[in-house]
Amino acid sequence: MTTIQLPSPGALPDTIEGRPASDNYLTHTRGILSWIFTLDHKRIGVMYMWSVLGAFLLGGTFALLLRTELLTPGPTITDSADTYNQWFTLHGAIMVFLVIIPSIPAALGNIILPIMLGAKDVAFPRLNLFSYYLWVTGAVLCVVSLAMGGFDTGWTFYTPYSTTTTAGGVIPVLTAAFVLGFSSIFTGLNFIVTVHKLRPPGMTWFRMPLFLWAIYATAIIQVLATPVLGITLLLLIVERTVNIGIFNPSMGGDPVLYQHFFWFYSHPAVYIMILPAMGIISEIIAINSHRAIFGYRLIAFSSIAIAFFSFIVWGHHMFTSGQSALMNTLFSAISFSVAIPSAVKVFNWIATLYKGSVSLTTPMWYALSFLFLFTIGGLTGLHLATLSTDVHLHDTYFVVAHFHYVMMGSALIGMIGGLHHWWPKIFGRMYDERLGTIACWIIFIGFNVTFFTQFMLGSQGMPRRYYDYQPEFQVYHVISTIGSYIMAVGFTLTAISLFGSFFNGKKAPANPWGGRSLEWQCASPPPFDNFAKAPRVGDCYDFSVVHWDPKLGGYRVDESNDPEVNPAAQGTKAAH
Amino acid sequence: MSMTHQILAHTASQISALAAFAQTGAAEPTPPTFWMPVGASTISQGVDHTLDVINWICYVFFALVVVLMVWFVVKYRHRTGDKFRTDYPTHNTPLEITWSVIPTIIVIGIFVVGFRSYLDIYTAPKNAFDIKVTAQKWAWSFQYPNGAVSDDLYIPAGRPVRLVLRSSDVLHSLYIPDFRVKRDIVPGRYTYAWFQCDFPTGQPGKTPRDPNAKVVSGPEDDAQAHTLFCTEYCGTGHSKMNRYVYVLDEASFGQWMTDQSQWMDKIPEEELYFKAGPKIFARCQQCHSLDGTVGIGPSWKGIIERVKAYPIVGDGKEYGTWEDYIRTSILVPGKYVVPTYGNVMPSFKGQLNDKAIDAVLGYMQQLEKFDTKTGKLKAEFDPATGMKK
Ligand code: HEM
Ligand SMILES: [Cu+2]
Repeated sequence: MTTIQLPSPGALPDTIEGRPASDNYLTHTRGILSWIFTLDHKRIGVMYMWSVLGAFLLGGTFALLLRTELLTPGPTITDSADTYNQWFTLHGAIMVFLVIIPSIPAALGNIILPIMLGAKDVAFPRLNLFSYYLWVTGAVLCVVSLAMGGFDTGWTFYTPYSTTTTAGGVIPVLTAAFVLGFSSIFTGLNFIVTVHKLRPPGMTWFRMPLFLWAIYATAIIQVLATPVLGITLLLLIVERTVNIGIFNPSMGGDPVLYQHFFWFYSHPAVYIMILPAMGIISEIIAINSHRAIFGYRLIAFSSIAIAFFSFIVWGHHMFTSGQSALMNTLFSAISFSVAIPSAVKVFNWIATLYKGSVSLTTPMWYALSFLFLFTIGGLTGLHLATLSTDVHLHDTYFVVAHFHYVMMGSALIGMIGGLHHWWPKIFGRMYDERLGTIACWIIFIGFNVTFFTQFMLGSQGMPRRYYDYQPEFQVYHVISTIGSYIMAVGFTLTAISLFGSFFNGKKAPANPWGGRSLEWQCASPPPFDNFAKAPRVGDCYDFSVVHWDPKLGGYRVDESNDPEVNPAAQGTKAAH
Repeated sequence: MSMTHQILAHTASQISALAAFAQTGAAEPTPPTFWMPVGASTISQGVDHTLDVINWICYVFFALVVVLMVWFVVKYRHRTGDKFRTDYPTHNTPLEITWSVIPTIIVIGIFVVGFRSYLDIYTAPKNAFDIKVTAQKWAWSFQYPNGAVSDDLYIPAGRPVRLVLRSSDVLHSLYIPDFRVKRDIVPGRYTYAWFQCDFPTGQPGKTPRDPNAKVVSGPEDDAQAHTLFCTEYCGTGHSKMNRYVYVLDEASFGQWMTDQSQWMDKIPEEELYFKAGPKIFARCQQCHSLDGTVGIGPSWKGIIERVKAYPIVGDGKEYGTWEDYIRTSILVPGKYVVPTYGNVMPSFKGQLNDKAIDAVLGYMQQLEKFDTKTGKLKAEFDPATGMKK
């Protein structure tokens, strides 16, 4: 082992920039009110994080109920198909609207984005707090909906079922989704302005960390697509209450119109879920390979390309709906174009490993899982974008498997990876790396057992949203259910490793993984105002100035050899 | 780059294989594979080959990604404190252009293959045999040109069949995996699905399948029948909305249609209740029980007494007789909805004629003769006469 000799900084300092080291955003002010009314982006992000994780627990519980029910054909733990229908609807709606859409931008993005920018906060801190409370309102409305009889429409709310079902909680949940939409729009708006206006001197667009590019691309989709969802949901509420008939065929309306509206939002929404995860993966892979990301510009552009294309492929959800053959053909062709930037990103990530120095930290294991799972998820998108095969696969478990690979296997795994990556920064504690890695493996295995099986299930002809099924499908269902239990174990271990850090975690150094972007240059946890003095912006993927410091138990950035800082010095930067 | 050549070569060979298949047609259904169920329609091979092409492209790409990933991670593994490598490239424009262009070419290839096999699915041949399909919560009704009506789908072998689909309530979707067809059924619109199956499956046994069975089991004497599913979520009975597809050779199909259109005509009026009643009840069983269990609709147990007690039923009232009331309930179910139940029953207008309604009325009057689970005549009664043996 070679150690680089550096001027010894001593152990963890007692003071940072002249302030006591114990003064950070978590301890700066105290009391519950200081959280409820906080305008600090980090605290808002932390509140989002706990809320989203709580919702994830709830959504996950429903998932386990669903999987358990499907262990046998016919009744297993409930003898009511209606109950089952409510479970899958709740599971889907919670996971999409309360968990995955807000998870990365609103929770991790809120905490990290301003620090990455070297800013003190987002552009509109009050709007930020407001959007958090909109999220809370949405969550409460979901509970209200449950109390009023629940809803059994599926997360897609297709008409005329959603306008005629007798379940009592449909209007509250539509309102919830509406309100959550606004929460998402405000977060997006805030981030767009923040990225445009609060970048520090020296951080040009192409010096932004890729996480910022991804959040920025996401924010654009959030702001442009979500209003369409808002209007659609309002129309649905009006339709259900006063029966205006816009989606009602017996009054000259058209249920297929609803599907167009819905997917015009919801296809871009799947990129609201995946793009931020891709941003996290870019960060984790670059930092843990300790080398410049390969093809930075191509990755950044492909985020924007994906955001653009995502608006013109919605019709691929409606190939069997009676849409004309011409439309189907066009939508099929355009859908493939989304696959290209996605593939390009994967190649760039793989190339980043090449001649890197790969540290297998827990976040890195999550990033590698992501690569594996996203490749499967993305490739099976090809089966679904192809007209003739989609006719067979549409609305079967194949689609269920596809979108779990991309939404759970990729977006959520990316989020959990990011959580591990920034956990030391956020809470100033190291979790148990070994346990974290084991948990990652268990989740990875459980995930594949659960969802790979569903590809076969679907292509063999098992429709989705079925309470009961033919006995020949049982083998697959049993395997899938076992997989879901394995995953549950994995997530429990993850929780133990993360929460354990509060009790016996080592104090985290400022820079545990060797990052170069600005968030690694402030203390862990960051002070309430992030940086006492504006940090210098370097090349965020130049790791040649990052050195391991055993005394710190982390990395330190030493720019004294960087010609940009010290023109007299001899450059040791890698040749670009 | 040899990998790319392989992929392209494979794609090309698959495309020509596909073209060859489209012309010949097979001698028997393709057996189930790891991915696909039995393929029994004329389009199924085209679809399966498209799937194969895509699968192989996926296997190759997936292997490429995983092998490179594992290889790089192992080869460039770094341990805390080691010096970082600095000899890495940060970009390589020709390489990046290559790996953007190759996937583009491949997806264009996939699109073309998929599009060609889709055209076959989309356009029904002119000489197709039309069957009208009504989907409703949670049953199918198939109507044939001669007026015959059935709950399972019967089709002639070796002839294109076009289904004219309509829904009387919410969205449904007709899906026959073995034929690789699926079409959404949209209220207020007619949609079409078409297919041709060249392989007769034979007819089902004499005992009709029990649609209310806890476990959906196969047809009793013919495992070859194909399954037909509803694949657009439509509520409580969505997962029970599946039936069988029987493919008959041209002659037996004609015979079947004739028998089916007349099956009740030959039954004398007084035998209707036990010869036709159970068969008709099978369509009501989704929602109505015989043993008093509350279902989606009220049980038929004691129904006559209950109806007679309604304030709108009786001499000089809106419904002179209980029969009148029941008849209306079958034809215009929404007119009076029994309290606490939803207005969910579909109308059977056009599906049950007067004779069929007579059979139902008779059935209700003699309920004690029928098994409450199966709806069939109890064993102690003679199926020929309906009398105690
Ligand atoms: C690589 C590019 C991708 C392609 C070509 C693709 C293609 C498709 C197609 C054609 C469908 C419709 C299938 C059907 O209903 O029959 C579909 C469904 C879906 N995809 Fe993708 N997809 C891709 C990536 C993604 C990603 C990255 C996500 C999300 C993070 C995603 C999420 C979904 C969801 C949620 C559904 C189903 C929604 C539902 O019906 O409930 N897809 N995909
Ligand atoms: Cu989509």
